[in-house]
Amino acid sequence: MDTSNPAVFVNAELLRLYVGRRVRAVIQVLRSDGGVVMGKSTDENQIVVKGSPPAPLSKFVEVVGIADSEKSIIVEVWSNFGDSFDTHTYNQLCQLANGEFKHLFL
Amino acid sequence: MYGSQFDGSAAFSGGGFMPSQATQAPDSSFSPSKNRDIQSLLPLTVKQINEAFLSSEDKSNFTIDGVDVNNVTLVGMVCNRTGRVTDVTFILDDGTGRVECNKWVQESVDSNEVEGILDGMYVRVHGHLKGFLGKRSLNVFSIRPVSDFNEIASHFIDCIYVHIYNTRLRKPQGGVTTQPQIANSSSTPLKGYQAAPPNQFSGQHNVDGQKSIEQMVLDFLQLPSSNVDEKGVHCNVIANQLRVSADKLMLAIQNLVEEGLIYSTTDDFHFKSTING
Repeated sequence: MDTSNPAVFVNAELLRLYVGRRVRAVIQVLRSDGGVVMGKSTDENQIVVKGSPPAPLSKFVEVVGIADSEKSIIVEVWSNFGDSFDTHTYNQLCQLANGEFKHLFL
Repeated sequence: MYGSQFDGSAAFSGGGFMPSQATQAPDSSFSPSKNRDIQSLLPLTVKQINEAFLSSEDKSNFTIDGVDVNNVTLVGMVCNRTGRVTDVTFILDDGTGRVECNKWVQESVDSNEVEGILDGMYVRVHGHLKGFLGKRSLNVFSIRPVSDFNEIASHFIDCIYVHIYNTRLRKPQGGVTTQPQIANSSSTPLKGYQAAPPNQFSGQHNVDGQKSIEQMVLDFLQLPSSNVDEKGVHCNVIANQLRVSADKLMLAIQNLVEEGLIYSTTDDFHFKSTING
């Protein structure tokens, strides 16, 4: 049992609140260039994720890692989420998990 | 024939492994709602489990949002999987925390199930929450890989919904639920579960942010104008003032009477707030 190092649900807008912290986000891959992947967050804004992505990457990818700036994440864990994903619902969840129901998550 | 004379209740009433009437009695005294609570399956986050209360009367039972926790379902990523002949242990990381899990492998159907589970996989587990020597862990009945990743968001939305349901929507069951105060205290989430509200209807809202009828009735009866007549206020007057139907009003009044917050005066139709004396 350990809740000392949670990964916060974030979109691009929420990412800036958690620089230096562990976060999780789902992105739609736009461009992959070696260890740097440019992606569209669930709130339609772009973020950069860095690390060693597995190949191949599916259209939607979940990344868990440390937010190293307001617009980028150093990724520890990559998970392919396939080619269809409900980004709208996920984005709503990001907001609930950082708002009224934060106490269930953090 | 022999079978037609066979009297089951006589044959099995004399001890052995069959429960006698005496041991069955406590079960039948459970109210249906209590029974449902015991059997409920709660979708939870690890964070919620970490903050779960140990209910005082029985050290092995947990309480979350006023509901006894037994069977739970979680969605998260498998790490540190260790397979042995008789069981598999792993850590489930759902992003809010990590919890140790254990799955006994008895039959081939079990071993087939756990064989496909690997580190880094998203899974949904169903299991029993247990506490042993202060350590909380999950005794897993079922574990299966998540194939549609919308299930992750869906699970956490479920957790939020059930939390709202248990803290705000569930009807207070005067004395039946184990800890009704806790069930309604999370209107102040920052203070955590310890916060004790002045009464359990304060801050009780419907999902759309409206006051509960209980709270409206209580507020109305606490107005100085409701205290003018010694007999209190007739329920028809309350219904007219608050514009609620008679059925809903009577239910709310009944709940408030059970909680001792209001009482009927000269007849069954006039009510006063206990605070007004």
